[in-house]
Amino acid sequence: MKRETDYGYAIKPVYTPADVAGLDYEKDLGHPGSFPYTRGYHESGYRTRMWTQRMTAGLGSSKQANGVLKKYREMGQRGGMCVISDRVFSHCIDPDHPLGRKEAGVLGWPGCSLLEFEELMDGIPLTGQSITLLGSSAPTVMRLAYVVALAHKRGIDPSEIHGSVMESPFENYFGQTDVQPFDLNLKLWLDASEYVVRNKIRMRSSVISQHFQESGGNNAQAVAVVLSMYKELCGKLVRERGLDFDDAALVPYELVSIGTRFFEEIAKVRALRRMWARIARDEFKAKTEKACQMLIAVHTSGRTMTYQQPLNNIARCAIQSLAGAMVGCTAMDNATMDNAYAEPSALAARMSLNTQHIVAHETGVADVVDPLAGSYFVEALTNEVEQEATKILNKIDELGGLIAAIDKGYIQEMLRDEANKKFIEMDKKDRLIVGVNHLEIPPEEDFEIPIQKLHPGDSEAIAERMAKWKPTRDQDLLKARIQQLYTDAQKGDRFNLMPSIVEAVEAYATSGEVIGTIRKARGLNYDPFNVIECPFALH
Amino acid sequence: MQAGNGIKVIVTMIGLDGHTTGGEVVAMILRDAGFEVVYLGVNQTPRMIIDAAIQEDVDVIGISSHASNYGQIEELVDLARANGLDDMLIVVGGNIPREPAQHLLAKGVHKIFLPGSSGATIVEYLSTEARGARKSAPATRRSGAGNADQGRM
Repeated sequence: MKRETDYGYAIKPVYTPADVAGLDYEKDLGHPGSFPYTRGYHESGYRTRMWTQRMTAGLGSSKQANGVLKKYREMGQRGGMCVISDRVFSHCIDPDHPLGRKEAGVLGWPGCSLLEFEELMDGIPLTGQSITLLGSSAPTVMRLAYVVALAHKRGIDPSEIHGSVMESPFENYFGQTDVQPFDLNLKLWLDASEYVVRNKIRMRSSVISQHFQESGGNNAQAVAVVLSMYKELCGKLVRERGLDFDDAALVPYELVSIGTRFFEEIAKVRALRRMWARIARDEFKAKTEKACQMLIAVHTSGRTMTYQQPLNNIARCAIQSLAGAMVGCTAMDNATMDNAYAEPSALAARMSLNTQHIVAHETGVADVVDPLAGSYFVEALTNEVEQEATKILNKIDELGGLIAAIDKGYIQEMLRDEANKKFIEMDKKDRLIVGVNHLEIPPEEDFEIPIQKLHPGDSEAIAERMAKWKPTRDQDLLKARIQQLYTDAQKGDRFNLMPSIVEAVEAYATSGEVIGTIRKARGLNYDPFNVIECPFALH
Repeated sequence: MQAGNGIKVIVTMIGLDGHTTGGEVVAMILRDAGFEVVYLGVNQTPRMIIDAAIQEDVDVIGISSHASNYGQIEELVDLARANGLDDMLIVVGGNIPREPAQHLLAKGVHKIFLPGSSGATIVEYLSTEARGARKSAPATRRSGAGNADQGRM
């Protein structure tokens, strides 16, 4: 069995002061709330603000997802809500598209129009909690437009809403794929980010290592990749959109995947805070403290939730939640014991949410900031992961930044090799996973948990509803707004499309229509799958 | 080890499923074991996969499935039959709950590799079963898309 970190650092049997001999408390750790923020951003930690405890929702129709969100609120989820898109919305086609028809509402929320968002949010406040909408990068502008449009309808100033509805264009390379081209996703991401900064809307974008790591990447690579995404995207907002770095740096947030290798996960997050603080100050000349503080939320690892003996996942989730709490996160959402089977059942969701409540209220871990600081082992591990990540980050810089590194295939190859390595390690039992390659039991002896079932007719019902609803919209208004969007989309990459997207969405243009129109203006097929024709006569 | 000598396998995702890691890992395992792998990637409709299977004259279609879109796998099985691809194996790997897994097997999927399946298990199954299928149908093997009447119903 291997006794090394996932990035190959051999762990010693014991750590002593010699392992942290060069550590300077002021310079390398800092008091909580002080640069370089290794110990976190708040002097009193969770005493002033508990992390947001939330669960991801989204399955079936918007009305069904609304019911789940209300249920989660009853279970004590108040700080924020989190909804994931289905594969149809993720690609920005519509449920009534021939390919959408089969998968609408299957793996998440079918949020392809403002109508769906209105149904999702029925009876749920837009303010007083963080609004997080996840999925792929392509629907970024749609999700943002929904929030702005619904705020207008409810008479709320959009600047009173906070949360995260945007998603980095890089996720397409890290397992959170959509069909839209990178240059389009990047352009729309920059539009959305510039729009929230200029309109003072406190919406963040996920620019995150979670997908990369859940796809097989190791801890050091994950740190390097998220930092290189931050550098690339913040750099573009400054250079191409004329934003102040101190504003641009408030757009991204990092969702970190926390697995079961307890100390290594904690070291990773501590190193990440320190590295970003130094990059922001030294490379980008940040003027504000906030710009040096990477906002970090935790997702306990879905990858580690096993198909076999699913009740074991409760133990894994508890260990990961404890680590997540100890790193000083802003928000946490848990994978659930049925993660390898389906979207969370009510039982599994309650179990995971209660796991967070137990960690928060029963363990005492939330009483003290960064409780492992000063541990010879944890400080040594923090230094190790930083050193390894720095090497990878330097390599990415040498290649010309993350976009160039992806163009050269460097990142994809790194991820593929690492995913293969992880599988081989498991196959050879170099890493043991209880119930999978250690202490297995025959399937017939395995305990069964309730699994949320899919109903094949649901997708068709969602598709049919949209097909019948589309002609009932104000067609003249819709056509005028779509034409305006088409005209604007031909004005070049730097022309911000968010205002015309919001107007189109307010006329109930769908994700397939909005993104299809922009695609057409850029010389692409209206339909990324080239199955349907553009329904509008654009000129 | 050249267990896969002469066996040609499509590895693909189906429908809008964007989870690629499992498929890529299995493609590597099969290549290392000497199989000829045609990796189709994401955004493949059942029709596109069947067309590729005919064009590439493969022995096995392997679907990596992590998006609960089992209806599309059923459609693939129907299309394979309609095109007379009777001696071609259709196997699926992924986190598929027991009930839909049983349903897919009853529908005609030959084998489902659940999470935890070892590389050796996959290689062994394909190297024995794909060749077996080849031997059992030597003359009429895959004469093209017009042979829907040769379906095994």
